[in-house]
Formats: sequence, structure tokens, C-alpha cells
Amino acid sequence: MTRRGMLLLLLAAALCVSGAAGQTVKDDRGRSFPVPLEPPKRIVSLAPNITEILFALGCGDQVVGVTRFCDNPPEALTKTKVGGLVDPSLESIQALHPDLVVAFRGNPLRAVERLQALHLRVFVLDIGRALDDLFALIEKLGAVTGRAEAAARLNERLRGEIQAVRAALASAAGKPKVFLVLHGQGLWTCGRTSYLHDLIVQAGGLNIAAGIAKDWAFYSRERLLQDDPDVILILARSPEEFAQARAWLAGAAGLADVRAVRGGRVFLVDQNAASRFGPRLAGTLREVAALLHPECFGRTP
Amino acid sequence: MTVRTKTRLVVAALLLLAAAGFLAALLSGPVETSLRELADFLLGRGGDKATIFRDLRLTRALLSFVVGAALSLAGAILQGYFRNPMADPFIVGVSSGASLGAVGALALGFDIVLVGFSGQGLAAFVCGLGIVSLVYLVSQRRGVFRLESLLLTGVAAGAMASALTSFLLFLRADSYEQAVFWLLGSFAMADWRQVGTVVPYLVAGLAGAQFLAKDMNLLALGDEAAEALGCPVRRVRLAFLVIATMLAATAVSVSGIIGFVGLIVPHAVRLLIGPDHRSLFGVSALGGGVFLLFSDLLARSVLPATELPVGVITAAVGAPFFIYLLNQRR
Repeated sequence: MTRRGMLLLLLAAALCVSGAAGQTVKDDRGRSFPVPLEPPKRIVSLAPNITEILFALGCGDQVVGVTRFCDNPPEALTKTKVGGLVDPSLESIQALHPDLVVAFRGNPLRAVERLQALHLRVFVLDIGRALDDLFALIEKLGAVTGRAEAAARLNERLRGEIQAVRAALASAAGKPKVFLVLHGQGLWTCGRTSYLHDLIVQAGGLNIAAGIAKDWAFYSRERLLQDDPDVILILARSPEEFAQARAWLAGAAGLADVRAVRGGRVFLVDQNAASRFGPRLAGTLREVAALLHPECFGRTP
Repeated sequence: MTVRTKTRLVVAALLLLAAAGFLAALLSGPVETSLRELADFLLGRGGDKATIFRDLRLTRALLSFVVGAALSLAGAILQGYFRNPMADPFIVGVSSGASLGAVGALALGFDIVLVGFSGQGLAAFVCGLGIVSLVYLVSQRRGVFRLESLLLTGVAAGAMASALTSFLLFLRADSYEQAVFWLLGSFAMADWRQVGTVVPYLVAGLAGAQFLAKDMNLLALGDEAAEALGCPVRRVRLAFLVIATMLAATAVSVSGIIGFVGLIVPHAVRLLIGPDHRSLFGVSALGGGVFLLFSDLLARSVLPATELPVGVITAAVGAPFFIYLLNQRR
């Protein structure tokens, strides 16, 4: 073997070793992914919150496919649609030749398995149970897309925003009882395993549905009357929807006697931001904290 | 025209339709593909779209075809078995029972494989057989099946199984897409393994049914007459029940509940080629394959960015047909 050949061989061996010793990141199904030396160039996102985080990490240009629900940031709307959350089109995804597919809980496991069978790299992330779980999610996504630094910066910013809310709430008097309801679904509310429960708690409120060990559940009108919340938060997409929902609570739903309805403390929370486990939750936290404790945020109650 | 030439014509027409259906299934989907690219793939020249053609569209088309064939053959057998043209794996409750078994096995984490039967397939078979036996016992009086009691028992048993299935799905956290899959059927996630699961049962079922087709013709004369003509009625009946349930259970365990295929197709085939089971079974299977192939094609192309559960299509065609049949018999 020539000297040059030896050198090449050594170089190749060194590359192999450095590759093997490279860092890995685990997705939420426990599969290891190597932290890439080269960031992925063609990413398909299978959930709106993932799309948001990818854009926030500066991967917007590398995102080639999104779901039809991915509407934030607005640039996401220009990307190719690969179907919905529960019905992603395998064919559309395959045709984009992605080098990374990021799936989220809510995507059917079958779809994930089928994509893997098509030899695609599918990184699966789970939804968090608390706001703090967002940091790990962003960190993992940063690692697998080769943007660890951007992820650290984003997390730092979000931590700062959350910390500011905590600081403002230090002078809060009491904890109002809160009922959160999703517009258009009857009394569909978040139980204690949902991150929205954690958001209410961190915003200085008491979730009256905390006794339910589920993410989402139907609440009965009887219990709502009995619990008599001080504040009702309605997740709605627009002020019109909110007005409709508020009128329904006081009217057809027969809940006019609830303290929140009587006292006019029924508030709109932007459903689009609140329903996505992504960076906009810090803003939602601030908004909800200010609604529950206006005195702490320099607003008149 | 003799029955024989008619049968030949029908088979030829179905084969042509099947070819057209496969071609259409290979060419349509959310990703734009040209005839030229398909030709490249078919001639083994690979190409950019080979994965889409082979692992997505062809798998899906084949799975819908073999599931359709299995369901339709099960329907043809059940109609002969109950001497009643309204029997079908869905209406008799077999499909709902099989679905309950499959979902129950999933919920209990029953993920074993026994001699080629997956735990899920086995549970689907057992529950399907349980439901059909119940319907059999309740709806027969001294060997006579009354139409009303057959239909009502089947519907009631099916509703009960569906309710239990919904209950099991409700207990699991992320069950929306699973509920849609098990209760309405879908081929969206078809893979080769599933095709491989159905084919052996379809082949065995078809061979078994064909072997016993003469006896089924005798059964049409009534059990006593058949017995007198040398047909071992009890054993033949048991064999047919097992074959039909096996076919329906296998189909359900890979595609969820898809109703009415086994009702419409054997009926239409009987109108075209007559009631002789020696040709009815095979032609029904072929027709069922074609029918479900086109139903799935429709299910995935009616709406632009999304697809319908295929059971919605078969029910939309099947339910009016069912009402028409019911009205005819009054």
C-alpha cells in the first residue's frame, strides 16, 4: 500500500471514529439520532408547534413540508402541505425527499412506522405536561437540526420571559379559581396532566378541573355551578367566536349565575397560540397572568 | 346466451376493470405522476417515483383488492349459508365482532404470534366467530332462518360489539385516528406485510369454498334434502362458517370495518351469472376486489387535500342498495 493510501485509510478511520463518538440525541420514543455534522437540508414538520419551533430556530428555509394546520409564522403557509395531523399523506412526504421528518404526538403511530419503513429519518416528539417541558423539546429539536446554539438562545429568552411573569406575580393577592374552556366543544376543559393546567397554575390561578387526571375532559354544568370559578378563560380563534361563546355561557348553557359570568370576568385567550406547545406559550402565560392578576401588571382590574 | 358464456364475459369484463383500476390507482395521488414515469417503474427502470409507485400506491391498491375479495367471498358464503341474500359479514355482525377482537387485543397488549396468526388476527377471528354463532343460535328455529330475526340479531350483536370497541378506544388517550380506522376502515397506511397477511387466507378460503361449492348448491335445497342427497350437512356448514369468519376477520384485522362489500357484490354477481356457487364464489371474489379497489380510489380522490375513510364510500353505495333489497322482498 502506498503512503498516500495509508494516509487516506487513516483519515477514513479517524472520520469513522469521530462519527461513532459523536453526540446523539434521543427522540421521545427512545430512538437515538446522531447530532449531525451537517444540518439537515430538507425537513418535513408534521405538527404546527414543531413548525413554529423550527422557524424560531432559524430552520425556516430548510422546512420543505408542513401540515395544513401550520399557519405560524405566516411564511409557513407558503410551504408544501403534506396533509393533516392525523392524516399525513405518506406519498406527499416521500416525494419531498426529506432528510428529516419531525413527528409529534397526535400523529398516528402507524404513520410514523410507515415513514420509517420508507427509510425516512423520523424524529418523534411528545407533548409536554408542563411549560418547563418546552425547553427540553426545543433543545432536542435544536440538537437534531444542528442548531443547538439557536435552541439555547431561544430557551434563554423564554426562561427570561417566564421569570419576568413570576417576578410580577410575587405581589399577587390570592389565587382566583379558573375554568378554561375550548370554544365550540361544549364544556371541554383541560385536566391536570395538560400543559395548560400548568400554565394556569404558573399564571397564579387554580384550575377547577385539576381533579381530572386527563389532558382534556368534559366538565359538567353541575360541577361548574358548584365550583363557581372567579374567572373563565375561553380559547377562541377570534373576538367574534369569543363573543358567541360568552353569550352561550350566560344564555343557553344556563351558567349566568357563575361568579365569573356575573362579574364579567370571562376572557378571550388566543386559541392558536395556546393550543400549540411552542414558543408563543410564554406570551400566553403573560397574557393569562395579566387577566388573573391585573394589579400585578399595572392594569386596572 | 348460455350461463357459461355469460360467466366468461363477466370474468373478462371484471379483469379489464381490475386492470383499469390498478392503472388508475397507480396514477392518482397527491403527488403528480406521469404515464411515462409509471412506464419507467413498470419496466424496472427505477426512477424518482419508484418508491411512491411500489411501496405506497401499489401496496394500497393490492391491499384494497385482496380485502375486497375476502369480504365479498365471505358475503357470498354467508348468503348461501343463511340461504338469504341479505347476509354480509358486516350485517351479520362478524366484522364488528372481529374489530372488537382486534381492538381488544391491542388494548390488552396481546402482541404475540401463534403459528402465523398474530394475536390480533386470532382475537379478531375468535370474536367474529363468537358473534356469528350467537346470531346463528338466536335467529334459527328448527333449522329455519327468519329474515327479520337474522337481520335484527346481526344488527344488535354488531351494535353491541361496536359499542364495546368504542369503549375500549375511549379508554385510550390518543384514539381519534384509531377509532376512525377501526370503525370506518382505511387503507391509508397499507404495507406489504398486510398484503402478505391476507393473501394466504384468501387463497385458502377460495380453495376451500370452491371445493365445497357443490355442497353449497345442495344446501340451497334445504338441510334435509341436502342430507338425503349425500351432503354431510353439519360438517359442511361448520366448514363454511369457519371459512367465512376467517376471511372477514383477516380483512378486518388489516383494514378495520368496511361494510356492505359482501352484500352488494355477491348479489350483483348472482344477478349476472346465476346462483351456481361453483362459479359464484370465484367471480364474487374478483368482483369484490374490483369494487373495493375503486371505492378506495374514490375515497382518496373525492376531497383535495385529505381522504375519506373507505367505509364511508362503501356505506354510501351499500346502504341504499340494502334498503332497495329489503323493499324488493316485501
